[in-house]
Amino acid sequence: MDYFRIFDASASGMLAQKIRMNAIASNLANIETTRTETGEPYRRKDVVFASVVMDALREGSLEGVKVVDVVDDPSPFKVVYDPGHPDADENGFVRLPNINVIEEMINMIMASRVYEANVNAFNISKNMLMKALEIGR
Amino acid sequence: MDKTIGFLERLINFAGVRHRVLLSNIANSDTPGYRAKDVSFSGILKEEGVRLMKSNPRHMTVSEMEDSIEIQQRDQRTWKDQNNVELDMEVAKMTENALLYNASIRLLNTRLRMFRNAIRGMR
Repeated sequence: MDYFRIFDASASGMLAQKIRMNAIASNLANIETTRTETGEPYRRKDVVFASVVMDALREGSLEGVKVVDVVDDPSPFKVVYDPGHPDADENGFVRLPNINVIEEMINMIMASRVYEANVNAFNISKNMLMKALEIGR
Repeated sequence: MDKTIGFLERLINFAGVRHRVLLSNIANSDTPGYRAKDVSFSGILKEEGVRLMKSNPRHMTVSEMEDSIEIQQRDQRTWKDQNNVELDMEVAKMTENALLYNASIRLLNTRLRMFRNAIRGMR
């Protein structure tokens, strides 16, 4: 059992969830942002995970994870009638970011749970290693 | 060499490999297209049963076990992103597996202590 790659795999899981958490935080912060550099309202960000084989000797037995891309959600913007808004069009409609607060909150809780699960796995690995050091004592 | 020690060594090794597989499942619980994996135990027990019945101790092979561990992809219902990891199940399995690992080490230590006591004559 190669312990040190095991710790790397758990750490990669924690890091990936942290990056996902960053994306969620940006989404929540920009929930009403109507102006960005592209001239459009803010588009919801999402992260793309991919598995990485950490141990080339025994393929498939130890896989970590990494964030390969941060993508914009292509779903349509929310359109709200608000003639007083500075970014309203001539008919009084404003385009708002395609962000659903409930979805973001659920993703946030999931990211935090998966992070905790990875911490838990890390601790279990550590305890197993400590136990292995006691053999024959 | 004592058969119990050989068996416990295999068991510890097996639990170690299973730990790696379960850990990968947890790390990849949000990876699209990732299929949960597990390793089988029954095959090893069966094989071990045959092995223990061998009459000649020279037939014992100790370090072949990892080759006989089979990594399987689990068939469960999948989510929309083709990922079928169930986080709570994986954590439960990992805890159980760590208990097996720790228990095997404790048994191994007990066995070794028995030898030590026999050698020293319980001094």
